[in-house]
Amino acid sequence: MRGARPISLLKTVGVLLAKDLLIEWRTRARLNALIFFALATLLLFSFAVGPDTKVLARNAGGYLWLALLFASVLALGESFRVEQENLTLDGLRLAPADARAIFLSKAMGNALLLMLLGALLIPVMVALYGVTVTMGLGSFAATVTLGCMAISAPGTVYSAIASNARARDVLLPLLLFPLIIPALLAAAKATSLVLQGDPMNQLGSWYGLLIGFNLIYWGLGFLLFPRVIED
Amino acid sequence: MSDLLKTVLQVGSAVAALASVGLGVWLGVKWAPPRSRVNARPVLLGMAALALALLVLGNWMGLVWTPSEREMGDVYRIIYVHVPAMWMAMLALVVNFACCVGYLLKTSWKTDALAEATAEVGLLFGTYGLVLGAIWGKPTWGTYWDWDPRLTAMAIMLVTYVAYMALRRFVEDPEKRAVWSSVVGIISFVNLPIVWFSVKWWRSLHQVQSTPKTVDPDMTLALRVNAWASLILLTLFLLHRYRTALATREAEVALPEALPTDVPGPNRASEVA
Amino acid sequence: MITALTLSPLLAQVGSGRIQGGWEYIWAAYIIAWASLSLYALSLWLRRPGQASHDSKE
Repeated sequence: MRGARPISLLKTVGVLLAKDLLIEWRTRARLNALIFFALATLLLFSFAVGPDTKVLARNAGGYLWLALLFASVLALGESFRVEQENLTLDGLRLAPADARAIFLSKAMGNALLLMLLGALLIPVMVALYGVTVTMGLGSFAATVTLGCMAISAPGTVYSAIASNARARDVLLPLLLFPLIIPALLAAAKATSLVLQGDPMNQLGSWYGLLIGFNLIYWGLGFLLFPRVIED
Repeated sequence: MSDLLKTVLQVGSAVAALASVGLGVWLGVKWAPPRSRVNARPVLLGMAALALALLVLGNWMGLVWTPSEREMGDVYRIIYVHVPAMWMAMLALVVNFACCVGYLLKTSWKTDALAEATAEVGLLFGTYGLVLGAIWGKPTWGTYWDWDPRLTAMAIMLVTYVAYMALRRFVEDPEKRAVWSSVVGIISFVNLPIVWFSVKWWRSLHQVQSTPKTVDPDMTLALRVNAWASLILLTLFLLHRYRTALATREAEVALPEALPTDVPGPNRASEVA
Repeated sequence: MITALTLSPLLAQVGSGRIQGGWEYIWAAYIIAWASLSLYALSLWLRRPGQASHDSKE
């Protein structure tokens, strides 16, 4: 059974992803709230640091990723709460949908959501912090994609766990934040390099770290997620 | 101290510690499960006395007997407690990882209980080892916290396992708790090398040399005695914590016949060793 | 070579090339180690199964 039908696995992922995106679209009020939350976080950093544009510009990459990380905790928490409200996760498992397909679709959905959020935050960040983008948009897009994927894979596994536990709102960040530190580090560094230029050619090694992180956690999530939602 | 005595100490502490680990595994199988009839008191007292004696001897060797170091002066003597603590934390977390994988492969309350024990004891050794590392930093680097890669990675590791323990607290259903904490334990352990490399790269601008390179053979001996003593302590702690965890698990699961508790077989022994 | 290079700023900070004293840090470290080990042993003793949990629970 395992791995016998890769086509049908992909098809299931597509159907589930379409379902999640449709739900996301129909409840866009929540999506809007999330966007404004992230924007407000970005704005608050400038108040916390003070109006010194130089400091803001130098640390812009870090602030962007912190705003994305905080927003991701909310988004990830929501992604399984939706399923719980109507017990749809049980329905999906009875369907029967492959649990690995559920993981892939959820993680891809969360990554897409975060990438959308990143795409909206970057122009605001450029305006707000007065940064100049030294390198092209291509490397910016690559950084955002890799970073968002790195947050969403372990985040999906952990939010599936935390959504069923007591004190889930505390548990998810508690579990996720220490885990995500390498990815956060790499993404923030890569973003700074993209913004300020990369004279030492360090960008490649941070990309390498992000790619490795993604491979490991997408693989682990794919393997372990079925055990998380089994009954 | 004569060479003969040193050799005796070297071999004797190792044999004592490894024998204690063996005894610990045996007691874990025979004595730790609830309602065991084995009278473990003499063995346990003997192990505790041995651990204490070796620890006192090791600490004396570290504080008095060994010479002071060429660059670090006397301050380096902290490694005799700091390094064994870190080794024991690592060892406990490796066993924890083995238990997490083992539980997902083969469901057993024993593996789950041992996972709980190793995480808690590993946290204990890691926490005070980290504090000692910070104390060592003050006289050598001039500050308690220098974002040294080792200390930073260690701190992240501790937060990760605090989260693991919090998850165990927050899930009431024992079966779900066991599965979920196994998943989290595996992911957390896999994260350790990634954290290590990322922090190292992040700090690559000014790396700090944090271990003395000039090592006297007497220093190695003192370090070994301390490490073996810590290993006996680790075994004792794990054994008792494992027993408590098994008893708790039994109280939680109301139907004893539904328990997969009495899985015969060497699964526990292989994970301890 | 590398060790000597990386150690040199450290040595410059220290001044004489060898850290003097520092026994208060050593004592603090050993006391913290012993205190945490004995406190944990105490907590294990307090949590030991057998006195209340055996018959009263469930």
